[in-house]
Amino acid sequence: MQSETPKKIFSSLLVIILDVNPAQDTLLSGEIKLSSILSSVVAFANSHLMLRTHNKVAVLASDPNSCDFIYSDQDELDFKKKTVSSCKMGGSQYELFSHIDRSIKFNIMKFLKDAAEEPHMSRDTVFGASCAKALCYINRLQNNLYPGETMNSRILIISGCDNEGDKYIRCMNTFFTAQKQNVAIDVCSLTHDVTLLKQACYITEGSYFRMPKLEGLLLYLQWIFLTEPSSRKKLVIPLAPQLDFRPFCFCHGTLTAIGFVCSLCLTIYCKISPICTTCEAVFKVRSAIAVKPKKKKIKTTSVNN
Amino acid sequence: MTSSEDVLLQVGPVRHKKGDGTLYVMSQHVAFILNSSDTVAISHHYRDIKMQKISSEFKNKVQLQLVFHDETISLFQFTNSERSEAMRDRNRVKDLIQQLLPKYQKQANKEFGEKSRILGENRMLFQLYQDLVITHVITSEEFWSQHVPYHLATQSKVITQKTGVPNNFLTNVTVKSDGTKKFNLSNDTIQCIFKTYPAVRQKHIEYVPHQLTESEFWQKFLESHYFHKDRITTGSTKDLFNDCAKLDDNLFKNEIKDLSKNKTDCYVGSIEDDGSDDNINSISEEKSSMANIVHENIIKRFNQHSMMVLKTCEKSNLNSLPNGNDLKVPSNSSNLNGTPDTALKRLRIQEKNGYEDLNPEAETLDVNQKKLKLSRVESYVNCLTREHKHDNTTSKLSKAREVQKSIIYDVNEWSKTTSNQVIEPSVAVNTLGLLTPGGSLMKGISDESASLAQLVPVTVEKDLRQLYVSLGELLRHFWSCFPVTTPALEEKLMKTHDSLQKFQNAKIKPFEDQIIINHGQLNQLTNHLNLMLHTAYNKFSVWHSRRKIPNIL
Repeated sequence: MQSETPKKIFSSLLVIILDVNPAQDTLLSGEIKLSSILSSVVAFANSHLMLRTHNKVAVLASDPNSCDFIYSDQDELDFKKKTVSSCKMGGSQYELFSHIDRSIKFNIMKFLKDAAEEPHMSRDTVFGASCAKALCYINRLQNNLYPGETMNSRILIISGCDNEGDKYIRCMNTFFTAQKQNVAIDVCSLTHDVTLLKQACYITEGSYFRMPKLEGLLLYLQWIFLTEPSSRKKLVIPLAPQLDFRPFCFCHGTLTAIGFVCSLCLTIYCKISPICTTCEAVFKVRSAIAVKPKKKKIKTTSVNN
Repeated sequence: MTSSEDVLLQVGPVRHKKGDGTLYVMSQHVAFILNSSDTVAISHHYRDIKMQKISSEFKNKVQLQLVFHDETISLFQFTNSERSEAMRDRNRVKDLIQQLLPKYQKQANKEFGEKSRILGENRMLFQLYQDLVITHVITSEEFWSQHVPYHLATQSKVITQKTGVPNNFLTNVTVKSDGTKKFNLSNDTIQCIFKTYPAVRQKHIEYVPHQLTESEFWQKFLESHYFHKDRITTGSTKDLFNDCAKLDDNLFKNEIKDLSKNKTDCYVGSIEDDGSDDNINSISEEKSSMANIVHENIIKRFNQHSMMVLKTCEKSNLNSLPNGNDLKVPSNSSNLNGTPDTALKRLRIQEKNGYEDLNPEAETLDVNQKKLKLSRVESYVNCLTREHKHDNTTSKLSKAREVQKSIIYDVNEWSKTTSNQVIEPSVAVNTLGLLTPGGSLMKGISDESASLAQLVPVTVEKDLRQLYVSLGELLRHFWSCFPVTTPALEEKLMKTHDSLQKFQNAKIKPFEDQIIINHGQLNQLTNHLNLMLHTAYNKFSVWHSRRKIPNIL
């Protein structure tokens, strides 16, 4: 009797982080409705599930104050418990799809209503927190896998905001965590070129795409982001844009080409300062640097003479 | 307590608090001894005295008043029977105290300033002072001598956060070799040298200033082999730092041993190769290959230097961490019994499995992890909060608040509908146009090569593959002839060159023609093949032209 080798199951987990921040320029100007973005996202999530029976999907809504799952494995459990009886609407639709549709519709309303209670103090969506939450979720599912089951995971951020540099360290830390966990971060930016998110894609080997026009989101999503990052190399898809590797300095929040980094806490400054403001370490500024302005002065005086 | 002091002036009889006695003005104290006893009744230190007052000329009693810092008063009445005598006594005392007071007052002021600074900086101490001293629970002296140092000591422990040693500190020692050598050693650099090379510090303590002056010592240090790159320790030279080098070597060897015990670090291997025992020993033996030794020495020194620089960081908390020795397995025991190895293994497995961050106890056990102390955690985490964009932000935020309502309305409407069209057909077509090769989003992608993979039929691809295989074989033989050293090779080269040309004419040309006939265009399919051929032809022609010259001569 030969024991049967365990069946190998490949699956792919897609966590979509959807920016529902009302202060992002796309929603603020009214160029695109959140409902149309949402319907594209639902359709995209469904098409991801269609690729393979074991594929999983989760959707996170995120704004400057909070982030929360609007579709996760909890909702999936609900579906499994209710079984067939739940499919009332759209008799022709696959039960799971209509369930996802309904769950997202219900949860997003709840999220938006909760968000409206508390006024936003900042315009910047919490990408760091949402990515961290997504990574925790991925990690949990990864640990619950059956033997012989392998799962690739990736995160897709859909955003129309111009988040530049705020909460830089927090975001970067989560991006590097994602890199360590082998989780690719894809970004579909609706209007702006966001350096921070570009760097996220670069670090985690995901794809970055900025939509030229605010239409046809679903098509872009399906064309560029439906395939797994490993197989994207074999496809003809738009090239990754030029990436700005400059970091943001802590003192003024500007992009710096040459930064001065505190050797203790890694704070970045655009100018040399003898005392690090974050950890109060004292540095000896070498005399060579201090001498320079003197020389200049001498020169100018000699010219004047 | 006042016996050892010089008595500057002795005045009597003086009455103090209804007791007659003698007043002594001494170098540090004013003391009063009752006539009836030998012991000192009162003794006031000058630093406690704020000022002195004297009774007016017209008053009956001739008195001297000492006012202290805590506003208490001490009164002395000069009771000489002659009023003029009493006046004279008092004035002598007054003058002397007047001379002595300013010296101590200055000191007191300085101390007072220091104390107020400490109290100002430390809220807790200030609170203590208010609760204990002002309410007379303890005296001010007790407070400052016993309570404050303890608090200050505990506080200062928290603050210290040292910066490490820069890797390149020795490069700052610039050497100008224009006739006379000149070394610049700053105090920082000296401290760095001490930190990284403890042996030098030991030497410094031993020799300076008993046998050498400070500058002589550093001159010797810089000139010695210890500082220079080729540190071959030959016993013959009488050098101060010879044994320093030996000490360092021993330290280094021990370190390597320790490191090789737990091979978790990736940089260990490289040190091992360069500085293992064999290499160190062989240095003195093989004198023939000097250059090699010099190289090895330099690499060894670099590694050592880096190691020492890194170690300076650990050193500061090494004392407070008893656990640090647990990792160091004694070298003998590891061969005899397997227990240390298993312990190490267990440790390594533990490292892999456990999340130290999540374990609250791990904090105290962790050896190498140094805690970073931040004064502004918020700015460290958040980078910074920018103010200058603020007005823009607030206006957008207020607008966002309005938009929020319409968004909720919109989504609410959407959630009620059952089916909706996600994308309009015309938009979909446009988008597809953008995304297909040739579209505006596909700029910069070499669509020829990409589309070629789809355009070329299987048969053509098969032929092309065959062409590559054969041409590759020919080229391999061609390139293997270089450099041409023997007549046999020369002959072979000529042959392969001919066969290359033949191959091009017989195979590649017909293939190209066929593609043009069948598909209308060549599509750069054979570009690479031709490139390889031309490179080979160029090489051949260069070789040929050079070779002919000796023949003619």
